[in-house]
Amino acid sequence: MDKGPHGHVERPSWSPYDNNGGTAVAVAGEDYCVIAADTRMSTGFSILTRDHTKLFKVSDKCVLASAGFQADAKTLQKTLDARHQQYQHKHNKEISCPAMAQLLSNTLYYKRFFPYYTFNLLGGLDNEGKGCVYTYDAIGSYERTGYSCQGSGQQLVMPVLDNQLKSASPLVLPAVSSATPLSEAEAMDLIKDTFASAGERDIYTGDAVEIIIINRKGIRKEVLPLKKD
Amino acid sequence: MFLTRSEYDRGVNTFSPEGRLFQVEYAIEAIKLGSTAVGVATKEGVILAVEKRITSPLLEPRSIEKVMEIDEHIGCAMSGLTADARTLIDHARAETQSHRFTYNEPMTVESCTQSLCDLALRFGEDGEDSMSRPFGVALLIAGWDESGPCLYHTDPSGTFVKYEAKAIGSGSEGAQSSLQEHYNKDLTLKEGETLALSTLKQVMEEKVTATNVDIAIVAPKFHLLTDEEIQEVIDRL
Repeated sequence: MDKGPHGHVERPSWSPYDNNGGTAVAVAGEDYCVIAADTRMSTGFSILTRDHTKLFKVSDKCVLASAGFQADAKTLQKTLDARHQQYQHKHNKEISCPAMAQLLSNTLYYKRFFPYYTFNLLGGLDNEGKGCVYTYDAIGSYERTGYSCQGSGQQLVMPVLDNQLKSASPLVLPAVSSATPLSEAEAMDLIKDTFASAGERDIYTGDAVEIIIINRKGIRKEVLPLKKD
Repeated sequence: MFLTRSEYDRGVNTFSPEGRLFQVEYAIEAIKLGSTAVGVATKEGVILAVEKRITSPLLEPRSIEKVMEIDEHIGCAMSGLTADARTLIDHARAETQSHRFTYNEPMTVESCTQSLCDLALRFGEDGEDSMSRPFGVALLIAGWDESGPCLYHTDPSGTFVKYEAKAIGSGSEGAQSSLQEHYNKDLTLKEGETLALSTLKQVMEEKVTATNVDIAIVAPKFHLLTDEEIQEVIDRL
């Protein structure tokens, strides 16, 4: 490595990112979507707050959950909210969840070379009233799935979700619905279990989990306390 | 009218003391010289029919293009200075594609029409791409979106109105009253085609053939009828 003007190796000391941890999980059914995230916000071995929501209600049919760097998440939420207001003024309607999914992808990719350090899940109902979950990487690559999780507990939660929900490969059996076959109550129980379990092993997940349920009746929120250690 | 020309005729964006924009009004007059175009909205789809003036036997009729596709779910018929319509349609095509890119969904017909009208009124401004005068063209915009089939009319003043059936161009007065008489909400797509073409036939000077009219439908996708398909409609008249 090249020596700098002071005779020793220099590395850039500018680090604009932090990882505040946290886990988000979403499950879609035929006529509902459940999206959840814990409320702990950490940096390193410190807890900054036990009561920070990672969920953002974009519309009555669309909720965003962001793990990663919460300062970037906040800016992302504000950007999407502003774009949604503009969309409503221009088109006289609320944005659909699939449209917001594409907009989120574009918004993330627009910062391809200085990305938002956020790992997102978008959950809601599509134009047919069917549950949908969109899962993203930090630079906007996305996919519609029936269930997904993001954040510090991802490695712990994802295998459990796969074990409970993964459908057979379309190469083996005919492709089935993009949504999971669970009932809303079953999905709630599964999500509560995953957070209780992730909270046992992941130091960045805990304190409480906020769960938002979107169905044809509307949108509601439940909060379940988790261990605070 | 031409005897009353005044200094308010000079600037395209200068109001006369009576509160009129003469250049816009003259542009609306220009449409009344254009070939007739008819639009009919039915519950099964929207029909656009336009006459093509074949001014010479040596003219290649297929080179006259007065019905154009904006997006797969939106079509457009024009009357007036058709060259001006190109600018508008290019704009609408860019807008609808940009909407698909941003939201992964088709743009609504009303939003597309609104964006066309925004451009129609954006004349007389500084800038390289800016139009120096009002667009001398009226459009019939046929489309199909989440709220179903619909038909819009735009004019050089940037106003747009939704219609069930509308005629523009030189024969528009006669055609419009004929439409009023024969239109009803329960028309099928085929009946709509027949109504549009028979209305056009009434105001055309030449005999209707497969080469001197263009017909397009949006049901729910845009489709420009082939000569054979037009002939079928003619045979039904």
